[in-house]
Amino acid sequence: MSEYAHPETLVTTDWVAEHLNDPKIKLIEVDVDTKAYDAGHIPGAVGFNWQTQLQDQTTRDIVSKDDFEALVGGAGVSPGDTVVLYGDNHNWFAAYAFWLFKLYGHEDVRLINGGRSKWLDEDDKELTQEVSSVTPTAYTAKPADLALRARLQDVLKIVESGGVNLVDVRSPDEFTGKVIAPPGMTETAQRGGHVPGAVSVPWAKAVAEDGTFKSADELRGLYLDAAGVAEAKPTVAYCRIGERSSHTWFVLKYLLGIDNVRNYDGSWTEYGSVVGVPIETGEPARAVR
Amino acid sequence: MDYPHADPFGAHPLEQCPVSSDRNVYDSVLDLLPSEDNPSPMVRLGRANPWRETFPLYAKLEWQNPFGSVKDRAAWALLRKLEEADELSADRGVVAPTSGSTGLRLAAIAAARGYPMKSVVPNKVPLEKKVLLKMLGAELEVVNDNLCPSPGMGEGSIGLAKTFAKAQRNKWVMPNQYENEENTLAHVRTTGPELWRQTEGKVTHVFLRLGTCGTVSGLSRALKERNPEIKIVAATPTEGHDVPGLRSRSELGVSKLFDERQADEIIEIDHELAYERALELMRTEGLLAGPSSGLIFEAARIVAERQSAAESPDVPYFGVMIFCDNAFKYVSSFIKHRPELAENTTA
Repeated sequence: MSEYAHPETLVTTDWVAEHLNDPKIKLIEVDVDTKAYDAGHIPGAVGFNWQTQLQDQTTRDIVSKDDFEALVGGAGVSPGDTVVLYGDNHNWFAAYAFWLFKLYGHEDVRLINGGRSKWLDEDDKELTQEVSSVTPTAYTAKPADLALRARLQDVLKIVESGGVNLVDVRSPDEFTGKVIAPPGMTETAQRGGHVPGAVSVPWAKAVAEDGTFKSADELRGLYLDAAGVAEAKPTVAYCRIGERSSHTWFVLKYLLGIDNVRNYDGSWTEYGSVVGVPIETGEPARAVR
Repeated sequence: MDYPHADPFGAHPLEQCPVSSDRNVYDSVLDLLPSEDNPSPMVRLGRANPWRETFPLYAKLEWQNPFGSVKDRAAWALLRKLEEADELSADRGVVAPTSGSTGLRLAAIAAARGYPMKSVVPNKVPLEKKVLLKMLGAELEVVNDNLCPSPGMGEGSIGLAKTFAKAQRNKWVMPNQYENEENTLAHVRTTGPELWRQTEGKVTHVFLRLGTCGTVSGLSRALKERNPEIKIVAATPTEGHDVPGLRSRSELGVSKLFDERQADEIIEIDHELAYERALELMRTEGLLAGPSSGLIFEAARIVAERQSAAESPDVPYFGVMIFCDNAFKYVSSFIKHRPELAENTTA
């Protein structure tokens, strides 16, 4: 049985419980709906709001370097700290934050395997409503590592020339174009379908029922064998708004060790709305369902 | 406490008007809860059932229960379990994730008993239900669930309710209706024996819907014990549905009560038909059926037509449909699916 390529990027809930008082370990809960954090969080954790704090509030873009530094410094994090992330919705938004931390050059970032729901389900794990005490730091980020990020023009080039694995991690109905977005979502697109040439591997295939990641062997079988992701080629993962694809980006890059993987954070809400770009609808040639 | 419906805070029955179920005089609304001796009524379908000669269908009207739904049963069982374990007081109440139906009944029973109640509901729950919860005195937390279909894993509302129960243990306790055995046992104790007695053991098919799956697991257990030949047929809406309280196949993983073997047949039905068939029940039978009853009726129609075309059975068919709740709370859902209903409604 093979190991994950970078097992150090995942921690267990038990490991977290044992390190709650370690001053070099900074716990951050990342939610789309911060009600959950307010109702109760892991002792010592600070809360980030994905919608208001991890994106630029004017331009549609990731949070700027300056704002990222202010946010992370405000959470009491220093560049040498171990940042441990977890969150709601099966760690999607925590995975997005993981991607941002890596993009801005933070060395030691980890995800809690199973996220918030696993912690909730374990009787010996505590939650608190107590406000975590934080000593702000003057955090300095590195210039954004754009090799981790795919932009629209990159995806358009891929559509034209090929040679890159495109992994669509949305639900099968979003992929085929039957629906543009899951019911009730406000962020949608003008057309339903997928980027031509993409393979369909819904993000949830990567996790077991309790939300923890599947074994390295299972993941290799899923992405490399069944979906035909070629390790030698660059890979781009996308979804609807870039959060589910961060989860898959993490799996491909850190659990399977594929070197060149980018997250297309514009995802379908951008691609599916642009005038004149080619899209495909219907069943994929290869799908993992 | 010998008498489980008695007010735990000590009110006494009024001597002037003695309690008597014969005269329909009760000491508490909780005395109206269904049981083998006080079953929810069953009504035979007439014109709405074209196969009525070969495959009679009866509707068990769960909306006749005191709080208006099949969920009265589970809510009462869940709350009793917490009371028996001494988990509740005037300061420590119930927090529950719900799509509305169980939460409403929990809120009503908690109000009757004097316990606080907090309900965590997904945003897609109809406004009527959210407001009713508040009218019953419950605190309301609305969660933007459904970010993405995530088969097999808990939803945001379950997670948030668990969070309250964990972080504020002294204030809240959570009866997890999706996992709690009491949900199933409520139907083993009441719905199953009621149905058996009402049909004099002649029932051959039971039609129901899949939600938290307490009904399917409880009825299957209670009825198959009495006659293993009884067929349990479950109706489930197609993916992407918005029939409140129901689960499509991919959503079923959320409920740990569900086991596919409990149903002899699962019929997936286009959710638009839920509304069409409910209107048919209203217009041909005068039954104020909610959309889930429409869905169940469609499943019953499919089986009744199929069996009527097949060879005559050894034992005559006798179908019972469990109609969960009525149309009143779903008027806005009906309008969404049949916009013509709202036409010409003003002068």
